[in-house]
Amino acid sequence: MSWSDLHKASEELATAAHLALRDGDCAAAQALFKRSAKAEEEALAQLHSANKPRTFGITAVSAVALWYKGGDLAQAEAIAYRVLGHANIEEFAGMQLRTLLQAIWNVRAQEVAGVSFAPGQVQVSVRGGEIITGGAPLDLIIEKVQTIQSLFYRTAEWMKKMPLRRRGPAPKEIQEMCRPWLFQGVPSSYQFVVAIERPRQQDWVSLDSPDPQLVASTFLSILKNAIDDPADGLSKIIPDKQYKTAFLKLARNLSPTGKVFNQMEVRAAGDASPVVLVPESRKLIGLTLKADAPPAGEAMVPTTVRGVLRAVHLDHDWLEVTEEDGENVRIWNVGEALDDVIGPMVNHPVDVQALKDNKGKLHFRDIEREE
Amino acid sequence: MTTRTLMLEGLEERHPGLTRRVADSFAEAARVCLDRHHTSPIPFRIDRGENSCEAEAAWESTDERTKLAWANTTDTTRDGAYCIAIAAIEVTDGLVAVGRAETHTGADYYLGEPRERLEDLEKSLRLEVSGVDHGILTTLRGRLAQKVRQAKDGNSSLPAIAAVVGFSSSTVLTADVNSE
Repeated sequence: MSWSDLHKASEELATAAHLALRDGDCAAAQALFKRSAKAEEEALAQLHSANKPRTFGITAVSAVALWYKGGDLAQAEAIAYRVLGHANIEEFAGMQLRTLLQAIWNVRAQEVAGVSFAPGQVQVSVRGGEIITGGAPLDLIIEKVQTIQSLFYRTAEWMKKMPLRRRGPAPKEIQEMCRPWLFQGVPSSYQFVVAIERPRQQDWVSLDSPDPQLVASTFLSILKNAIDDPADGLSKIIPDKQYKTAFLKLARNLSPTGKVFNQMEVRAAGDASPVVLVPESRKLIGLTLKADAPPAGEAMVPTTVRGVLRAVHLDHDWLEVTEEDGENVRIWNVGEALDDVIGPMVNHPVDVQALKDNKGKLHFRDIEREE
Repeated sequence: MTTRTLMLEGLEERHPGLTRRVADSFAEAARVCLDRHHTSPIPFRIDRGENSCEAEAAWESTDERTKLAWANTTDTTRDGAYCIAIAAIEVTDGLVAVGRAETHTGADYYLGEPRERLEDLEKSLRLEVSGVDHGILTTLRGRLAQKVRQAKDGNSSLPAIAAVVGFSSSTVLTADVNSE
């Protein structure tokens, strides 16, 4: 049979596999992916990398991806190594094969650790500015990872219809229900992978706890709407105004200002279209938050305080910023602010939006971190 | 500007890279997306440089059961966008989906000449598609820039067409991504 016939057969099986997956039949999908992979591997054998380099590269990536999706990691790995050894493998194919190898190694590491992860890992990549291939400023990555963790926990809390948490960490039942882990991503820009661990102790998990895979997909849906359509789109899936504001502020914290990095992509495994966060995303969310904010009272003057966030006392309802000239400025009525929005900003430069009353006292409205 | 017809149904009859099940699925997703904002028929503006045109899209409205089945907004918008984008490029360039290949994150469609037997993918164009449910032209342009960047990253030797479909704005923006 020719490459064309074999590739066509592989395509049809892969299509059937994706449709089975969409219908929720994972076993059937995996079996179909394996059959598709076998046909694609045979198609690859009909080609020579020197004669048809693009077709060879595309087919090789496809064969490895199909074996990976079919769950035969050993076969996927073997083909990837064999093809990467070719002298004239196209650059795009080499990069995609290395991405697949990293994904395979992550799955192997998880299996060896004996930890069970929900299907549907989330891959995060940052690029631009100070980011280099495989490296990024540590404080930036720590802050973004913490914000993603906050988003996951808040998604789970919202799905469980819990009232919006203003103080303290997520309840233990939420943390045990969907614990995010960090894995190595492929060195292209800077990437890391977040996987949700399934609950180890079933007695922590109540019957109404959402499935961790559903938490991951809902998290992405919330993030996508917060970025693409913060005003109307997010309101449709998060009608609760307080939760909507919380998600918007966390999504804004994730978005770049353009100084240290200028793009973040968040995607689920198997998802061709990532959620892309750029500096414009931050501005758009800021406009939505401003529009949704309650109106300022009479005689209140909007003002901005810029400096380093030095102290926070959310129970006593204030925060303190040290301005460039060394002056400490206290802002009151921080009660509405969330711990996980403000917490990562301590000891970092911030912009605080406040209202000054006729006695000169500053009342908190909003806070953003400056990179 | 010449007005043409955006044929959303029966894609598998003209696009050998789509099976009937996939074509029907994409068309259904497109109908759900269109029903969110419009009543049939509507003009779609296709931005394709010298081949820019308006094309009329007509569809049967979806029932509640169909809407519920496509409740996952993200997947629906993506699949609906594939339908519109493939139909739009067919109108402007006369190209059809000739094949598909798996990647780590999903699968890519490849475009080629209609009625030619596919011997390989050396001359095929990769199709990079994104759908935007709500969103003004600025949002679509920003998304197109992202798709162009994405099409270049990790695929620098594969020529591609990037297409962004805006459902509320009934617009398709496209850009060519050439090989380096």
